[in-house]
Amino acid sequence: MNPHRKRAKTVDRVDSADSALVSSESTQMRPFPSKPLSVDRVKSVESSESGRMRPFKDKILFVDRVDSVESSESSRTSQFSDKISGFDRADSVEARVDSAGSTRMSRFPDEVLERVLALVDSHKDRSAVSLVCKEWYNAERWSRRHVFIGNCYSVSPEIVAARFPRIRSVTLKGKPRFSDFNLVPEDWGADVQPWLSVFSTAYPFLEELRLKRMAVTDESLEFLAKKFHGFKALSLLSCDGFSTDGLKAIATHCKNLTELDIQENGIDDLGGHWLSCFPDSLTSLEILNFASLNSEVSFDALEKLVSRCKSLRVLKVNRNISLDQLQKLLSHCPQLMELGTGTFMQELISGPVTEFKNMFSNCRNLITLSGLWDATPLYLPVIYPACARLTFLNLSYATLRSDELSNLLSHCKSLRRLWLLDTVGDKGLEAVGSCCPLLEELRVFPADPFDQEILLGVTESGFVSVSRGCPKLRYVLYFCRQMTNAAVATIAQNCPDFTHFRLCIMNPGQPDYLTKEPMDEAFGAIVKTCTKLQRLAISGLLTDRTFEYIGKYAKNLETLSVAFAGSSDLGMEYVLQGCQKLRKLEIRDCPFGNAALLSGLTKYESMRSLWMSACNVTMNACRVLAKERPRLNVEVMRDEEGGDDSQANKVYVYRTVAGPRKDAPPFVLTL
Amino acid sequence: MDVTLGLLNGGDDEDGGGVPSDGSTTNRSILTGSKEDNNNNNMVVMSSEVTSSSYPVVGDESLDGLELGLGLGIGGGGGGGGLKSKMVASGGGWNQYARILTAKDFPTSLVSKQNSCSSSSSVNIPNNSSSSGTKRTATDSVSPPNGTSVVGWPPVSKAHRMPSLASQVKSPTENFVSKPEQNKSKNRTVGIKDYSDERNGISNKKYRSVKVNMDGTLIGRKVDLNAHTSYEMLAQTLHEMFFSRWSSTEAVKPSRLLDGTSEFVLTYEDKDGDCMLVGDVPWEMFLSSVKRLRIIKNSDSIELAPRFEENNQRHRD
Repeated sequence: MNPHRKRAKTVDRVDSADSALVSSESTQMRPFPSKPLSVDRVKSVESSESGRMRPFKDKILFVDRVDSVESSESSRTSQFSDKISGFDRADSVEARVDSAGSTRMSRFPDEVLERVLALVDSHKDRSAVSLVCKEWYNAERWSRRHVFIGNCYSVSPEIVAARFPRIRSVTLKGKPRFSDFNLVPEDWGADVQPWLSVFSTAYPFLEELRLKRMAVTDESLEFLAKKFHGFKALSLLSCDGFSTDGLKAIATHCKNLTELDIQENGIDDLGGHWLSCFPDSLTSLEILNFASLNSEVSFDALEKLVSRCKSLRVLKVNRNISLDQLQKLLSHCPQLMELGTGTFMQELISGPVTEFKNMFSNCRNLITLSGLWDATPLYLPVIYPACARLTFLNLSYATLRSDELSNLLSHCKSLRRLWLLDTVGDKGLEAVGSCCPLLEELRVFPADPFDQEILLGVTESGFVSVSRGCPKLRYVLYFCRQMTNAAVATIAQNCPDFTHFRLCIMNPGQPDYLTKEPMDEAFGAIVKTCTKLQRLAISGLLTDRTFEYIGKYAKNLETLSVAFAGSSDLGMEYVLQGCQKLRKLEIRDCPFGNAALLSGLTKYESMRSLWMSACNVTMNACRVLAKERPRLNVEVMRDEEGGDDSQANKVYVYRTVAGPRKDAPPFVLTL
Repeated sequence: MDVTLGLLNGGDDEDGGGVPSDGSTTNRSILTGSKEDNNNNNMVVMSSEVTSSSYPVVGDESLDGLELGLGLGIGGGGGGGGLKSKMVASGGGWNQYARILTAKDFPTSLVSKQNSCSSSSSVNIPNNSSSSGTKRTATDSVSPPNGTSVVGWPPVSKAHRMPSLASQVKSPTENFVSKPEQNKSKNRTVGIKDYSDERNGISNKKYRSVKVNMDGTLIGRKVDLNAHTSYEMLAQTLHEMFFSRWSSTEAVKPSRLLDGTSEFVLTYEDKDGDCMLVGDVPWEMFLSSVKRLRIIKNSDSIELAPRFEENNQRHRD
């Protein structure tokens, strides 16, 4: 046995798996067993809610001897010898653990395999690992510390707890995304309490909980704070149902809290007293984000908290914190990496720039800046000293004009991500193009989305300017009131690396304003040129041609958002047939009917979810779908007024191993 | 009977932007039925425009079928036809607006009809103009004229509706969402006490937006009261908001909004739901009691009380 010999490597697609997993084609290795191990064609949802449904055709995992990992591993014994566990392409073979596994090769001790697998973080890779064979399934489940559940109803907490005994961190997403835009009635569900109840027994040492679009009550927060003694990190994004009283409970009882991140929630803000509930003994805080809360916190308590938490690296305060208060805070935590300021102006002007100009000079680690409410040209220069290092600048609360933005951006050469309001106009975007060559993400939000009389904002020319100057753009979210096919085609040519392209022409069904044609060619250009596209949101006047393009070219597309588009069922059918990797499809106000819905019959189990609202789908079609696919939950939300009972106005379809919802409110009908 | 009605849609958040409600929900204000008129069902309900059949129109003369007036403001009944034409005229593109359903003495409690308020939405692709002048019952869904906005469009999430944080404020009167699971029975509102006057020294610490609706304009706006220090400033702002865009033959000077000499009168709704003339009380007192503002036509508001009666007279026929 020669544990340390070199190997010739050909590393196949190992994705983000740890480097310990390498392929072994070395001629010194033993030949592969004549009957390769293999994996059953995956039908069951269970093992891979968070990962892919279909077998990992493209993944090959070879594990060589473990001595490349954790060389201090003392349990390495002669058992290892020159064994290889190799796994052939998993497409068409079936698993037989006993035959290929135990007789031909000696196994790793499970603990070793677990140690190896503990280094695998990506949940997709983990899903792949778990499909290999029963041993690996077990090793994976025992070594997993973080579980990501993209749809809280696709699996029940009991199932999760049964499969993964040692979870420390959970990410849960609840409501469909269109609930952000009030398309989902209140009390729809996604209550976190059932999860917490199960976790309190299964994972008493749970440390992290990240929730998105879940319903959270104060009682749940209190439960969380009291039952989980080592709890460290809470992140609530777009959740609702709780108040600042719940935050009080968290602050009071979580003695080891490292993260409290509250964003965009429908929260009852009863006052800022919660912040004063952090005990003086709490020094572990690393992330504190209360920017979206309205009411004022005690500055004294905040200042003390910031001073004693030496590891604080993310601090995002709310608008009530003034500039001089901010200055004091920054003096206590110069190590900050991410800062969200409060209001960025003072009423009483007494030499603002000189007073505050050193505020940022000590913040050498600052790479993210947000907040900046009410920022004016008078005060913006305060941040210039920090701009050179910034990689993410969020100006979506600052109503800047083009010249103000231009001056600011001239200092921000390192920007990778930039969020703006459309008050900066096309001229401001020209500045973006000329100042920020490294830009990868741009989001332009509308300052006044619902006022149709406004003719301001940004147009296609701003977008084109950015694309010229920022060829590395991958992520764009752009709200505008006019667009042309030619412009988008140019943009696609300039920035072929788009992974996320979300274009919102705010007037529904608006054509190319110059040629009056549909915007089909625009999105056609995008999908043809940007082969890495994962997420697409379309708008404007669109016919089935757009969908034909998408189905034909967007082979990596995972998320598609459609509104007021299409001419017939064909549109949706194109997409369902063509986009192999589609996971999330959300459609509203499109003329897609039953044929379209049912054309995806065989596809929906490979997706996370489908949302269709205000389309032409009837209850009967939904029933057919539900009957044919028992592993899908087909939910129809009834309108308050009934209307036509045969029309299914809001349909939400998702795969699940947990069966129909038990907590569905009366207006949700599971077929 | 007097009824206080609120109109509910699926959305829960109030938000900013120029409109009383965001693209998602209806106008969530409550209009207090005139308390002194207990002899009619002058119930006013506002509903959002969501569905795609043709929309009803106010007609004074019809007795059968519910007739719906368009526009915002208490005086909606009287201004029905006129308002409608204004709306169509200004309805280029898509916009969010609310309708007033005025129930006459009908047995059917059409007021509670929220059929068109559901969060479902469909919209006419622009260039469809729905027919006007048809009367429908309230059970028919209403259809927006050319390219009007619908629930949840454009898809701007809560965090990015401007003014960002002020948009999370809702006055208690506007919140009708009952949440059975909240055993504390708290409204999902920001406590008004957050905006108490104790902090009025430093105005940039608190920001307080109230909705402003004008008769004849479908889209309401929001104005930050804390950014103003006097009635004149407020009038100036409102003038810029509402009148500066018009090729104003009216030539309304800002100050005239306050003194009743212009065509329009500025009123506000206070904590008790009463409609008061702006300018009577000191500014600070006004700040503490105002809930929303309304600009109404002078002809409609010789006095506020008689105005209701006028409407009642008309509808009673």
